[in-house]
Amino acid sequence: MTGARALLGRELRLAIRSGGGAGLGLAFFLILVLLVPFGVGPSGTVLSAIAPGMLWIGALLACLLSLDRLFQADFEDGTLDILMMSRLPLEALVAIKAIAHWLTTGLPLLIAAPVLGATLHLPDAAQPWLVASLALGTPALSFIGAMGAALTLGIRRGGLLLSLLVLPLYVPTLIFGAATVSAAATGGDPLAALTFLTAITLASIAILPFAAAATLRLQLS
Amino acid sequence: MAGLKKKRRIQLIVIGAVLLAAATALVGYGFRDGIELFKSPTQIAEAMPEEGDRFRLGGLVKEGSWERGDVHRFTITDMNEDFPVQFAGIVPDLFREGQGTIVTGSIEGGIFVATEVLAKHDEAYMPKEVADALKEQGVFQPADG
Amino acid sequence: MSIWELANPRRFMALSGRILPGLSWAAGLSIGIALVWGFFFTPDDYQQGSTVKILFIHVPTAFIAINAWLMMLVASLIWLIRRHHVSALAARAAAPVGAVMTVAALMTGAIWGQPMWGTWWEWDPRLTSFLILFIFYLGYIALWQAVEDPDKAADLTSVLCLVGSVFALLSRYAVLFWNQGLHQGASLSIKQEDNVADVFFYPLVLSITGFVLLFVALVLLRTRTEIRLRRVRALMLREAR
Repeated sequence: MTGARALLGRELRLAIRSGGGAGLGLAFFLILVLLVPFGVGPSGTVLSAIAPGMLWIGALLACLLSLDRLFQADFEDGTLDILMMSRLPLEALVAIKAIAHWLTTGLPLLIAAPVLGATLHLPDAAQPWLVASLALGTPALSFIGAMGAALTLGIRRGGLLLSLLVLPLYVPTLIFGAATVSAAATGGDPLAALTFLTAITLASIAILPFAAAATLRLQLS
Repeated sequence: MAGLKKKRRIQLIVIGAVLLAAATALVGYGFRDGIELFKSPTQIAEAMPEEGDRFRLGGLVKEGSWERGDVHRFTITDMNEDFPVQFAGIVPDLFREGQGTIVTGSIEGGIFVATEVLAKHDEAYMPKEVADALKEQGVFQPADG
Repeated sequence: MSIWELANPRRFMALSGRILPGLSWAAGLSIGIALVWGFFFTPDDYQQGSTVKILFIHVPTAFIAINAWLMMLVASLIWLIRRHHVSALAARAAAPVGAVMTVAALMTGAIWGQPMWGTWWEWDPRLTSFLILFIFYLGYIALWQAVEDPDKAADLTSVLCLVGSVFALLSRYAVLFWNQGLHQGASLSIKQEDNVADVFFYPLVLSITGFVLLFVALVLLRTRTEIRLRRVRALMLREAR
């Protein structure tokens, strides 16, 4: 597994050092959520009603931001061809790239979300559920995104197309993620939605690396 | 070293299968207790929501309860419990006594103040004359949507 | 004749050219008759009055909107497994037709919903699912447009169609969780067709038949166009050499 660890380390170093792919998603999330009160007004009741949805939409858009570079840079400079010849199966390569994407975009959001939730008057009771739903839901966003990035590889200005393809695939995750938080905020039972959210994430991790790897093989053949 | 690559891929497939099985188990667990989408008058009677909490109330419009006017007043029933509703606005065509409806709003002073009234209709389509004839004979029971 | 013989573009062109005129006429006639019959010679519904008559457009377009995607799914699988070009082109040809039918179903639904439910648009599970389906159609069409190499475009769109189908199904259940919905259950099913009185049922079936014929005719026509486009491109490439 040394190959896998080396690749993960490379991906993380690249994301942190080269132009801050890691910080970008977090900064976008911060700005988006902090803009919401200016758009809808400072009323606490309104803000707390829309907080679960806004936080989840913010997380979703922040994840989209760095997706188009997931395979593109390695594809352009030929690294992807070399990686394909390595001992690591292509499926593992996709999974590692998706995990690295999650570590650099999804994980920082987890840490920032409670603070931003407080600014949007999210009830305290919902805070742990917000973190839990993001922790269990955002990995799905990265894996689905990897699938989309594989599909749009090599297309000029593929970023917009990537968003068009990926956003409808994000709908179930968004519904269950936001439903978890808003159920907790209004005194309902958040566990049902969280269960489905986790199921989607597990299924995405299980299946999508294979589909994305097959797509990459078609792309590079 | 193609053998190693193949072995690794089989390991991945096994991991994938395990994750998929876990996902299936979670879905089964999630469906264990049904999912509540709107509250019925009985549910409100059992656990009264806080005043001002917005939710959806669904049921049938009780026969003889509908007072028309600028502010419509009617009672929603599930044949077990009733709840009074008031609504300032125009109700849809299909809103009638004995038919299903879903109202959105909150409880204020023991009355459900609706901001939106929606009528549900069933999937039966029947010519008007036939329905009238059936009603005269007392055979036809409008389905509750 | 085995259905796989149609995978030969020459055979496909010959056969589709022969049946296309008849098919188009049949489609036009049955839709025309069904709509006139439905609009002017059926009584009003016992609850919905004359608004019910939009049923004769709404149900067939919704039916095609879903089944066009299913057809694309099957065609994509055939392309991925057996590499028949006609199949890939048929999937490509069906997508815009399906997208238009989805819009038509959404619009007639809105026109129906306004007097009946009291709202033009409601985030009802079935309405929302159709909206999501429409976005899937857009993404599929956009991917076809974006990839230049036709075989690679066929590969990628086929994968998108497969993955999209799974997620479309998932969204269908997710939106049910999210909102309980106003939309009535499906009226037409094999088990209980007495939901719809005969006076409405026969023109409706005729209308659905007409729309299916229309869909097949349009897909054949567009597939023929795609095949001809490819031939022209091949000729131009040969010319350029």
